[in-house]
Parts: sequence; C-alpha cells; structure tokens
Amino acid sequence: MRLAAGSLVVLTVACSQAPPPPSATPEPSKLEGMWSDPPATAVGTFCFFACTDAGIEKLNALLDDPANDKRPFPQLQAEAAKYQTDNYLRPRLTEAALKTYPLDPADDPGLLRCEPWGLAKQMFAPHQLEIRRVDANRIELRYGEWEAVRTVYLDGRAAPAEQPASRLGHSIGRFEGDTLVVETTRVAAGITGWDSQHSDQFRVVERFTRSDDGNTLNLTATIEDPWSLREPVVAKKIWRWAPDQKITPYDACEPATDVKRGTSEP
Amino acid sequence: MRLLRVFLLVLPLLVLAAVTTSAHHAFSPVYDGKRTITVDGVVTQFRFVNPHAMMLMEVKDKTGKVVTWNVEFAGRLNLEEAGWNAQTIKPGERVKVTGNPAWQSDQRMAFVKLVRADGTELEPGRAQRLSAIEEERRQRAQQRTQPPK
Repeated sequence: MRLAAGSLVVLTVACSQAPPPPSATPEPSKLEGMWSDPPATAVGTFCFFACTDAGIEKLNALLDDPANDKRPFPQLQAEAAKYQTDNYLRPRLTEAALKTYPLDPADDPGLLRCEPWGLAKQMFAPHQLEIRRVDANRIELRYGEWEAVRTVYLDGRAAPAEQPASRLGHSIGRFEGDTLVVETTRVAAGITGWDSQHSDQFRVVERFTRSDDGNTLNLTATIEDPWSLREPVVAKKIWRWAPDQKITPYDACEPATDVKRGTSEP
Repeated sequence: MRLLRVFLLVLPLLVLAAVTTSAHHAFSPVYDGKRTITVDGVVTQFRFVNPHAMMLMEVKDKTGKVVTWNVEFAGRLNLEEAGWNAQTIKPGERVKVTGNPAWQSDQRMAFVKLVRADGTELEPGRAQRLSAIEEERRQRAQQRTQPPK
C-alpha cells in the first residue's frame, strides 16, 4: 500500500516534470476549420477561382459606372477577367510560356483523363478547403476539389533540394501572427490557374489570413517561375467560413470523349 | 404519348455556367454555352456525385422512339450549397429540363433549369448567387445617387 502510494507520487512528479510530447497539438489557430465557396458578392464571385488586384479594381470600376447598371453581371465579370488577362497576366508571361498561351481547354488533362490538378491550379480550387492542425509540426490543407491533401511542415525544416518534383510539391510553413505563410517548391511542371504552362522551377508563397469579421479566408499567393514568368504574379482567392460543410467523395470522374477544340471561356 | 419537345433557343450570352461552374474541367470544350435546349421526359436515374452530378431521363423523339438523355450538373460540392441532396430529383419524376447542349454528342446537356410536373422550378446555386449580386448592385447604385454626408 505504502509502496503503491509512493510510486504514485513518483509517477505524478515525473509526469509534471516531463516536457510535452513532441507531437502535442497546440491551440487551434484562427484559420482552422472548414471554408467553402466565397460570399455571394461581386468580388467574392470574381475571386471564385484565382483573381488579381488588377481584376478586382477593374470590376469595381465597372460596377461603379452608372453606364453599366443595366448590363448583366456575367458580362462585367467577363470584361474584368479579360482586362486582368490582357493587362496583368499576359505581360508577365515569358516568350516560352506565350507560345502555348492560352492552352486549349480541350487539352485539359482533368477533362480528358480525370488527372488531378497540380498545385498551380489546385491552390485556387473552388469549394471546400479544410485547414487542420495534425500535430505540432504539421498542418493539412484538404480540398473538396479532387479530394487533394497538402501537408505543410512547421518544424523549421528547409525545403528539400533533392526531393523529386511532385504534383503538389513540398510545403513548409510558419505563423506570422495569425497569418499562415506557406512556401512550396518541388512542384512538377504543369498548368496554372490561368491556363499557362509552368516549369518545375515554380515556387509560391501563400499567405492565408482570416478577415476581421471572421467570415472569410483570404489567400494571397506570390508565384515565381523563371521559365514562364518575367516577374512574380500575385494572385488572390477568397473562401467563406462554412463549419457545417464536409468534403464528400470525389470518385465519379468520367473522362470526356467528345470535345471541341478552339473554344474558350469568357 | 407526348411527343418529344425540344426547343433550340439562342440566348444572348446566357453563360451562367462561366460564373461559378464546377471547375474540375473547362465547360467550353464540351458544351455550347450560347445555346439552350429544353427536353421533357421521365427521370430514370439521378447520381448525386462529384465532380458532376448526373441524371438520365427517357425522352420521346420526333418519331415517338424513346431515347436516353444525359444531363450533367455541377458537382455535389456545388449543389449542396444550393440545398440539394440525393433525393432532390427522384426516378419516375416527369420533368422539363433546360440546359446547354453538348457540341459533339446528341442527347447530352449541361443543366440550367428543371421544372417539375407541378410547375416548381429547380435552379443551381449560381442562380441564387446572381440574385444576391444583383441586390448588391442595386444598393451600390443607390449609394451612388445619395448626396454625400
């Protein structure tokens, strides 16, 4: 009895002095949880996929012009998207990238072969994004589109120089205050969210922040790729807080057999 | 026996799909976003799946022969946002469906609107989104005309 009590004391002392296990999960950040399609606003809808400040400013200018009050929103959205392409994206593309830009949507591997997106497109994917802390050293980003999962390492490791390039690359991250900063390299050559090709020199720094009212998650992605970009592209994306949503199976993709070449969306 | 009712309508830029299309692939290589078509028939299957929900329906063609139409929707991820579930459309239901016809294959369309036998309509979430945006635009226009404080 005495021995048992003594053991208990020793055990209690030992436990109170032991450092927390390395995998202990810290307090959730403000970003954790389920996010989904952006608010049903003009700018939110424009940023359903990747958008830029140039495009947002153009859209707001169109909306503020009384001459456009009778025009349907999809027309204004298309005009702002064209402005964004012509005045922001296209001038940043290198000669090499311009040779195939814009890619014919009929060649989309997702359409023809149900091939999941690479990071350059996946990071702007519509629908759900679930952010979860796995342990002290890892955060997972789970997307509804393609059920893609990215792991972000927070343990201070360096980007691996020798790791083979992969579809979603290798991500390391850190918190700057409440902002999650994720740097990704080792991404295999692929297609961007604006239908240009990129090389395996692609690298991106993503900054995820939650709005002051807590209702939206904002991404600012600074993208570099010396093969395809003359200078960095800064693209944005918005999600809405959606705690009741869940990611559902993405298991019924059927490759398209009859496609028309030479089409493009507004 | 009701005859197939197919209406080919050219609508000015009714490219709603471009607003919030389920984006696993581009819309334009498969469907003609500038035209709509309407068919009337009976649902045989509704699959509430990702990346695109699908519906099969039996429709009578001009000769009275029953043919199968394939209707492609946005994905379950999109439709749930609009309050849909796997039981929203049931086999055996008579429905009138409007959609963008496929470029290359007959009897296939991308969903725009469904009208049930009792006249109630089903629209995808993007229709609700567009209504909210139009309200936002009305408010912006109102603020523009108000004198500065």
